[in-house]
Amino acid sequence: MNYSLIYSQVTGHIPYLLGGAVLTLQLAMISFLAGWAIGLLNASILHFGPRAARLAVQAYVTFFINTPLLVQIFFIFFVLPDAGILLSPYAAVAIGMSLNAGAYLTEIQRAGFQSLRREELDAASAMGFSVPQMVWYVIVPHIAKALYPPLSNQFIIQVMTTSIAAIFAVEELTGRAYNVNSLTFRSLEVFSIVAVIYVALTLVCSVALALIGRWLFRVRARIL
Amino acid sequence: MAFLSIQGLTVSYGGKADVLRDVSLDVERGEVIGLIGPSGSGKSTILRTLVGLLKPRAGTVAVDGAKVDYGSRGSLRAARDRFAIVFQQYNLFQNMTALRNVAIAPTLVKKRNRAEVEREARDLLARVGLAEKVDAYPDELSGGQQQRVAIARALALKPDILLLDEVTAALDPELVGEVLDTIRSLQRDGMTMLIVSHEMAFIREVASRVAFLDQGAVVETGPPAEMFDRPQSPRLKEFTSRILRH
Repeated sequence: MNYSLIYSQVTGHIPYLLGGAVLTLQLAMISFLAGWAIGLLNASILHFGPRAARLAVQAYVTFFINTPLLVQIFFIFFVLPDAGILLSPYAAVAIGMSLNAGAYLTEIQRAGFQSLRREELDAASAMGFSVPQMVWYVIVPHIAKALYPPLSNQFIIQVMTTSIAAIFAVEELTGRAYNVNSLTFRSLEVFSIVAVIYVALTLVCSVALALIGRWLFRVRARIL
Repeated sequence: MAFLSIQGLTVSYGGKADVLRDVSLDVERGEVIGLIGPSGSGKSTILRTLVGLLKPRAGTVAVDGAKVDYGSRGSLRAARDRFAIVFQQYNLFQNMTALRNVAIAPTLVKKRNRAEVEREARDLLARVGLAEKVDAYPDELSGGQQQRVAIARALALKPDILLLDEVTAALDPELVGEVLDTIRSLQRDGMTMLIVSHEMAFIREVASRVAFLDQGAVVETGPPAEMFDRPQSPRLKEFTSRILRH
C-alpha cells in the first residue's frame, strides 16, 4: 500500500469538526435526559400502575428494544409526514433516540424499583408521601446511586449512537467528517482524527460522570 | 370516650383468614400500652393498620372523639396526622442525612416552612442524644443511633400517638439500652404510645397496661404486674411461663 499521510490538508477543518462534536454532545444529552424521564415514568407505572397501563409500557419496551434504531428514525422521518407531522432531521433523530433510550432506561430503572428496600417505601407511605413524592425523593436517589454505572454506560452509548444522525444529514461529528472527506478525499486522516475526537469525548464524559456521581450521589466509582 | 378508641378492628390479607379479629382497645392520653404475644399473633398488624399501611376490613378507630377514615388515599392523611410509627428495621432513607430524614415529611407532606422544621429537627435529634450526628448518613450510624433517628423522625410529625414496632429487636444487645432510655424519656413527657416488644422487663417497667394477643385477638388486658404475675387465661399462663423462664 502506497499511502502517504498528509494531515496538513485536514487540520484546517478541525475547528469545524469540533463544532460537530458539540452537536453530538447536545444530541446525546437531550436523548439521554428525555429517555431517562420516559424510563422513570414507565418504571413507576410498572411498579405502581394499573394492569392496562403496565401492559402498554411493556408493549412500548418490547417494540423499541426489538427493532433497529435506524428503522425507528426512518419511520419518524418518512412516515409521520403522511400523518401531517413534519419534523426536521435533527428533531426526528432526537425523538427517535429519546424513545429508543427510553425503552432501555425503563429496563435499567425497573431494576432500581425492584432493588429498593421495601421498608423505605413503607416508611414513606406511613408518613403520608404521595406516589410521585416517593418516586422523586426516595426512589430516584436510590436509582442514581445504585444504578449509576449502567446509567452512565447508557449515556456513553447515546454519544456513540448520535453518529446515526449523519444519515439524515444532521451535521454532528460524523456528518461533518463525511463532508470534510468529500472535500479532501483524505479518508484515513479525517476518520482517524474523528476517532480521536470520539475517544476524547467519551473519556471526558466518563470522568465528568464519575465526578458527578461522587459529589451528588456518593457513588464510589472509579474515575478511569 | 377514651383518647384512642379501637372497636372491632378486623384485618385480612387478600381473602385469607383474618390476621386481626375483632380487636378492641381503649387508650387514655399519656398511657403506654404494651402489646405482647407470640409471633404472628397480630401485634405488628395493629400498628401497621393504625398508621394506614393495611386496610381494615371492619371496625372503627377514633382519636380524641374523631373517627379516623381508612377508606381512601386522601383520607389516610388524617390517620397519618394522628399516628407515627417506628419500625424494627429503622427504615431510614439511605440517601438522606439524619437531619433530612427527620425534616423531610413535615416539609413535604405538611408543607411547613423548611427553616422552622429543620430547627425543630435539630432539637429532636438533640433530644435523642444525636446533636452531633445531624449531617451523618444512615450507613455512618450504628443500629442504635439509626433507631433513635427514626424515633426523632416519627416525633417530627407531632403525632398524637406513637407506635413502636419491635424497635429493639434488630439491635445488638449493647445498643438496646440507649433506645430504651429514649422511650423512657418520652413516657415521662406524657407521650401516648403503643409498644410492641419482646423486652418483657422493659414493658413491665414503662407500660401502664398490657394487652396480650393470640391468633389475631386480644385475649387479656391489664396492668403489667398483674398480667405477668397472675395471668388469668391459659394461653397467657403458657406464654409468661415460657418467656419468664429465660
